[in-house]
Order: sequence, then structure tokens, then C-alpha cells
Amino acid sequence: MSIGNSTTSPGLELKITSDPASLQQVRHALERFCADHGFDDSECDEIGLCFNEAVANIIRHAYDGAKDKPIDVQTRVAGDGLTLVIRDWGNGELPPSRPKPKLDLLEPGGLGLICLQQMMDEVRYDPQDKGMLLTLVKRKRKP
Amino acid sequence: MNELKTSTDMITAARREGDAIFATVLGEVDLSNSPELRVGLLELIQIKPPKRLILNLAAVPYMDSSAIAVLVETLKKLRVGGGKMVLLSLQPRVKGLLEIARLDSIFPVAKDEVDALTK
Repeated sequence: MSIGNSTTSPGLELKITSDPASLQQVRHALERFCADHGFDDSECDEIGLCFNEAVANIIRHAYDGAKDKPIDVQTRVAGDGLTLVIRDWGNGELPPSRPKPKLDLLEPGGLGLICLQQMMDEVRYDPQDKGMLLTLVKRKRKP
Repeated sequence: MNELKTSTDMITAARREGDAIFATVLGEVDLSNSPELRVGLLELIQIKPPKRLILNLAAVPYMDSSAIAVLVETLKKLRVGGGKMVLLSLQPRVKGLLEIARLDSIFPVAKDEVDALTK
């Protein structure tokens, strides 16, 4: 995927395991990376939350709560956009393409996907031979 | 006033006053520690469910959807006994996530403890 047509900055590449204990540290690193590349506080917060929710969904659903499974995270910035690619080797099941609106607001589930859809500019799931490749794109807001 | 203890350090202070419980939560809450927060909140309300559980979230800069789910589960249990949950001192990220979940209309937000008792 290309974003804009200007220079691509060195990215952030991380290999983590599906242990929820790693979430906070990696999210903080990602938010710092975004801030260093000119995203404002609100955009950094949104990217961090969406990363959290995407990985949490992998841990809960793709890996069924296992803590020792691999997750690769690649981030790059080009032009006004950040691309976040998250690869897992889990069950490869696609999430609902669009969460159903809740009639009961206290019904659990679905909030993570809603965050991705509302906060990111692009969300794409590409099933792999084993697992899933999730691509998230966030563009800087126009001043 | 009656001090209350829980098994988690995430709840740094809790006390019962009349039919209300005031509790203070500390730290970022995500999938790694939301189960611990869940246990702590359920400990607070299980013996004598309060009519109001007032959660001070001033020291909670971040919550994810698993933390929101804990608040919702606790609220549902409170409602069984006619209780409610009031949130105090929301930080922007927490407030924003509640709005996205459209739960800002479900959880009353108070400006201070006195205000919380009127919600």
C-alpha cells in the first residue's frame, strides 16, 4: 500500500507474543513513534488504542487466549499517513465486516472493531495460508 | 465511614458511606489487568451491594474495551439490586472511549463526590 508520494521514514518493527502483559509497553512505543513523526496527541492516542484493540482481538479470538503465540507488528510512515501491519498465525477468522448497531448498549463486545472503523482511515483484513494480516492506515488531519 | 479493602492494588482506596461506596482506581487498564480490576470491583459490591458505586478515575489515563466491559458488568450487577455507578474525574481518553461506546449516557459523570451523590 502506498500513502502519499513523499519519502518513507524508517519504520518500527516488533515481534511480540500474545501475552497481554506486553500490550502497554508496545502501545507506548508506538505512540512515541507516531508523535516523533508528527502526529498530534489525539491521533497518537487513537493509533495506540486501535493497536491495543487489534492485538487484544488477536489474543482473545485468533489465539483463544494463548499467551505464547507470535504477533509481528510493522509500522511505517510515508507522506501524511501511517501504515500499521499486524500479522498473526491464529485461526484466520474474519471479524464481522461491520459490527451490528447495539440495541442494548450494555450488551458486551464489538467496541474494539468500532474503534478501528471510527478512528482509522483504512482497515483491511487479508487472510493468509495460516492466520491473518491486518493493515491499518491513519492519515494526519488537515490543519 | 467504613474503609474497605480489596485484593488489588488497582483500587487504592475504598470506603462505604451510607448506601454509597467510593472507590479510587489507579493506572492504565487494558487486557493485562482488567481481570484484576474486575475482581476488585466485584469484591466491593458483593457483600452488601451499594445503591451507588462512585468510581474516581482521575488517576486512570487510559482504558481499553476490556476495561469498559468490566465497568459494564459491574453496573449490571449493581442494577440487579437497584444500584447505579457514577464516574468521577474522567481523563480525556477514557471519556472519549465511553462516548464511542455510547455509554456516556449510561454512566453518570460527576464533578466531585458531593455531586456524585446527586446523580
